[in-house]
Amino acid sequence: MSPGYRRIFRLTVAAVLPLSWGLASAAQAGADGERLLRLTRPGGTVEIGTGYLSSDGIRFGQYSGVREEGAYGLLNVDAARRFDASGTWLRLTGRNLGFDNRELRFEHRRQGSWGYHIDFSQTPRYEPFTVHTAVTGIGSPTPAIPFPSRPGEPHVLKTERSAVGFGVNRSFAGKLDLQLYFRNEEKDGARVFGRGTRPNLAGVFEFVPEPINSTTRQFGATLGYGGKRLQVSAGYYGTVYDNRYTALDVAGGSPVGGGNALNAYTPIALPPDNQSHQVFVTGGYNLTPTTRGTFKAAYTHATQNNVFAGVPLLTPGIGTSLRGRVGTLLLQGGVTARPLPKLSLLANIRYEDRDDRTPILDYNPLATGNYGYLGINQPFSMKTLNARLEASYALPAGLRLTGGLDFDQRRREYGIPIVVRHRPRTDERSYRVELRRSMSETLTGSISYIHSDRDGSGFMGTATPGYPDLVSPINLADRSRHRVRASITWTPMDPLTLQFAMSESRDDYRHPDAGRLGPQAGMSRDYALDATYTFSDAWQATLWYSRNETRLEQLSRTDPATAGGRLWAAALGNRSNSFGLSANGKPSHRLDVGSDVYYSDITDRYRQRALAGPAIASLPNISTELVNMRLYAKYALLKNAGLRLDYIHNRFRTDEWTWTGWTFSDGTRLSQNPNQVVHFIGISGYYSW
Amino acid sequence: MVAGLCLAAALALGMAIGFPSVAAQDVDRMAGVRAQDKVLRGDAKCTRCHDEDEKYPVLAIGRTAHGTLADSRTPTCTACHGESGDHADAPEKHPYPDRWFGRDSSQSSDERSEPCLGCHQGGSRMHWAGGNHANRDVACTSCHRIHASHDRVRDRLTQSEVCFTCHKAQRIQVNRPYRHPIREGKIACSDCHNPHGSAGPAMMVRDGINDTCYACHMEKRGPFVRNHQPVQENCAICHDPHGTTAPGMLRSRTPFLCQECHEPSTHQGSIGSLAATGGRDKNTLARGCLNCHTQVHGSNSPLDERNERLFQR
Repeated sequence: MSPGYRRIFRLTVAAVLPLSWGLASAAQAGADGERLLRLTRPGGTVEIGTGYLSSDGIRFGQYSGVREEGAYGLLNVDAARRFDASGTWLRLTGRNLGFDNRELRFEHRRQGSWGYHIDFSQTPRYEPFTVHTAVTGIGSPTPAIPFPSRPGEPHVLKTERSAVGFGVNRSFAGKLDLQLYFRNEEKDGARVFGRGTRPNLAGVFEFVPEPINSTTRQFGATLGYGGKRLQVSAGYYGTVYDNRYTALDVAGGSPVGGGNALNAYTPIALPPDNQSHQVFVTGGYNLTPTTRGTFKAAYTHATQNNVFAGVPLLTPGIGTSLRGRVGTLLLQGGVTARPLPKLSLLANIRYEDRDDRTPILDYNPLATGNYGYLGINQPFSMKTLNARLEASYALPAGLRLTGGLDFDQRRREYGIPIVVRHRPRTDERSYRVELRRSMSETLTGSISYIHSDRDGSGFMGTATPGYPDLVSPINLADRSRHRVRASITWTPMDPLTLQFAMSESRDDYRHPDAGRLGPQAGMSRDYALDATYTFSDAWQATLWYSRNETRLEQLSRTDPATAGGRLWAAALGNRSNSFGLSANGKPSHRLDVGSDVYYSDITDRYRQRALAGPAIASLPNISTELVNMRLYAKYALLKNAGLRLDYIHNRFRTDEWTWTGWTFSDGTRLSQNPNQVVHFIGISGYYSW
Repeated sequence: MVAGLCLAAALALGMAIGFPSVAAQDVDRMAGVRAQDKVLRGDAKCTRCHDEDEKYPVLAIGRTAHGTLADSRTPTCTACHGESGDHADAPEKHPYPDRWFGRDSSQSSDERSEPCLGCHQGGSRMHWAGGNHANRDVACTSCHRIHASHDRVRDRLTQSEVCFTCHKAQRIQVNRPYRHPIREGKIACSDCHNPHGSAGPAMMVRDGINDTCYACHMEKRGPFVRNHQPVQENCAICHDPHGTTAPGMLRSRTPFLCQECHEPSTHQGSIGSLAATGGRDKNTLARGCLNCHTQVHGSNSPLDERNERLFQR
C-alpha cells in the first residue's frame, strides 16, 4: 500500500469507528420498545475482533494477505441511515479492514433524486511460489542478473491494486438520469518473468522480475431516459492505461553465446501506454405489450502512441512510436415478441467491425531474406457478425419447446501469415432444441441439444520456408460440436429439494486439407447433484457433489532435422471430484451456528504416446487436493450485541512439478510448500442496530 | 494522491452529515403511511397477517430502497402481488395471491418479472428481453430477494453463491489453483457478466470478451508492433477466466496449448518433457514456451535483432 493510501486508511479507520458507534448508540436509543421500527428501519452492524493464523499459508492468503503466521485484526462495518422524511440515505460499508484486501465505500443519496459515492478497494496478489534469487533490483526497471550463477535469498513477489472510485448521479423529473463516474487504480509490485535464448547455448534462461507500476483509469458519463415504452441511454466511456515502466533495462546476465548471449537481450519492451474513448447509445422500445425491440450502437477509438524504448537500426521514417489506432464499431438490434399467448419469438443481430488502422511499416532495414524476417508490423482487424433466431412454444402439462438457430461469422485481416496458418473467414452455425418444464410444484427441468458446425474459407499457408503447414489453429479449424444439457429440480417432500444438472459436450476437429495435426477431438462433461434439506425453520443444510471432466486429443510432430519427425499424440485430461456441505441453524434463541465445507480432488493427465517409432515417456499426473472448512458460532449477549467465533481449516496439497527441478541459469529457483495446512481462529464482538 | 484526498473528503463529509442527523431521534418512520399500515403505503390488509413471524417474513422490505416512502415511485404490496382479493378475504383457505414469486409459482417467468420491469427496464437492464436469462425462464426473483434487507446477489462476497445455484461448473472452477479472487469477494460474477443481458456474447458487461478483460488488464490491449493474432481476437482462446489448473489460468499447459496452433517446424513440436538434458526438452517446466517467448501478449519493441518478431523481447 502506498504511503498516501496508508494515510487514507488510517483516517478511514479513525472515521469508521466513531461514526459507526455514533450511529449505533443513537439507533439503539430509538429502537427500544419499538420492534416495528427496528424491523423496518435500515440499521447496521459493526464487528471488531482479532484472529490468528496458525502457520504460513501462501495459497490461503494469496488474495487476502492473511498468509503469515500471526495475529490479524478483524474489522467490518455496515452502517446505514435513512432520513424518512426526505428519503435520503447515508451508508458506510467497510469489509476486511484489518486485512490487505480491505474495501470501504461511502454513499450519500436522496433516492430518486441525486446521489454520490466514493469507494476504496485494495487487492493484493501474492505469487504462490517463493523465489530464491540473487537477482537484485526486484520491482525496479533496472534489475541486475548475476553471472556466474549463485544461490540467492528467498523473496515473495507480490502485486497490489489500490483503487479509488467516485460517482455522482442526478435524476430529473423522474425520467432522466445522469451518471458520472471515475475510477483510478494503481498497481504496484513485481511478478515472475524472464528471458531466454537458444537452448543449445550455455546460460539459456534467466530470471528477470517484471516491475509493475502502472495506473488504470476509467471514467464516463451516461444520460438515460426511462419511460414506460422507451428507454434510452447515451454516453461516453473512456479508459487510460499509464505504465511508468515501459522497458526493462537489464544489467548483467550471461555473456555466453556471442550474438545470442542473453546479456544482449536488453532493453525488453513492457506493456505500452494506451487509451480508448467510446461513445454509445443503447435503448429499448416496447412496441406492444408483448413486443420489445432493443438496440445498441457504439464506436470506440483506441490509440497507442507510447515512445519506443529502443530505436537503433530502424528503417528511416519509423518515428518514435507505433502510432497505433484501432476503431471499433458495434451495431446490435434485437426483437422479442409473443404474437400468440403460447408462442415467443426472438431475433437478434450483432455486427462488430474492429478496424486496426495502425500504419504498416518496415521496422528492420537489414532484412533481405524471406517475408518472416522483413520485420513489418501486422495490424489485426476483424469483422464479426452474429445472428440468432429462436422460437418457443408452450405445450400442455407445463412444457415448453424451444428451437433456435445461431450464426457466427468472423472475417479476419492479419496480413501474410508467417509461422502459423491463417484463415480469413470462419462461419459457425448452431442449431438448438430444448424441452423445458418450468412450472410445477414438485418437478421442473429441462433438456437441450445443441449442434454446431464451423467451417470457412481456405487456409493461407505460412510464408516461412520449412514450415510444413500441418496445423489448423484451434480457433480456426473446422469443428463439429455436440452438446447435451439437462437439469432436474425435484421436491419429493416439502423439506427436501434435489437438483441434478449435467452437461456433456464433444468436439470433433476436422482437417479437410493438409492440416492434420493440432487439435483432434475434445470432450467436456459435468455432473452435479445438490440436496437441500430444511429440518425446521431454524435448521437447514445443503450437500452437493460435482464431477467435472475435460479431455483434448491433439497431434504434433517432432523436428525432422533433430528428432526424426516422429508423430506423437497427447490426451490432455482433467478430472475433479468435489463436494460441499453447508449447514446453519439456531440451537437457541441466542445462538447461531453454521458450517461450510468444500473439498476438491483434481487430477491433470498428460497421456503422451508415439504414433511412430520408439515409445515416448508421458508426463507425471498432477494431483491437487483442496479442503476448506469454515465454522462459525454467533452468540447474542444482548438483543443487539454479542460474540462471534470463526474457525477456518484450509489445506492445499499438490504434487505440481512446474518449478520442481528447474533452476534458472543465474541460479534462481522457485518453490512452494506442497502441503499447506493452516488454521485460522477469529473472535470478534458485534453490535447491531 | 488526488484520489486519496477525494476519499478523505467523502469521509469527512459523511461524518459531518451523519453525526448531527444521527443524534436526532424524531424522525417519523411512518410519514406518509396510514395509521394501520406498517411499512408500505396501503399494506394494512397484508400486514395484519404477514409479519416477521410468518413463513415468508415481509417487514424487512422497509429496510430496503423499496421501503423508502419519500420516494413516490416505491411500490405497494399490491403493485407487485396484485389486488389478490381471494387471498386477502379468505386467508384460512390459503389461496395464492394474484401474483406470487416462489419456486412453486405457476406463473411464467415473464409474468413474475413484469412488475419489476415496470420500473427497472432501463439502464443496465435494457437488454433483459432477449438475454439468456430471460429466455431460460429466469425471473428477477430467481436471484433477488425483495423482502430481505440483505439481497445476497447484490453483495460481492455472496453473489457467486447465487450464480452457482445454476452454474455448477463455475462453482468448481473458481476454487482451482489458478483463479481470480472470486471467493474473497474481490471479483464478482457481475464484474464481467451483466446478468440482465448485454449487447455482447456471454452477457459480457462491455459487450465483448476482450473489452471486458481490458477493464482490469488494460496492458494487454495494445496494439503492438508485434501482435499475437489470437490475443487480439479473443482472450478466451488461451485463458479460462473462471479458473484452471495451469498457471496464468491457461486452458492447458505449454507446450500443449501452443501446439494447438503452431507448426511443428523446428522445436515447436517437441514432446512434453521434464528431462534436464536440454532447454527445449524441459519445455513444460517453469514458464514453458514462455521461458523464451516472454511477450506472448504482444511486444512493442520496434527492433528486430533478438527475435522480437517471435515475442522474445
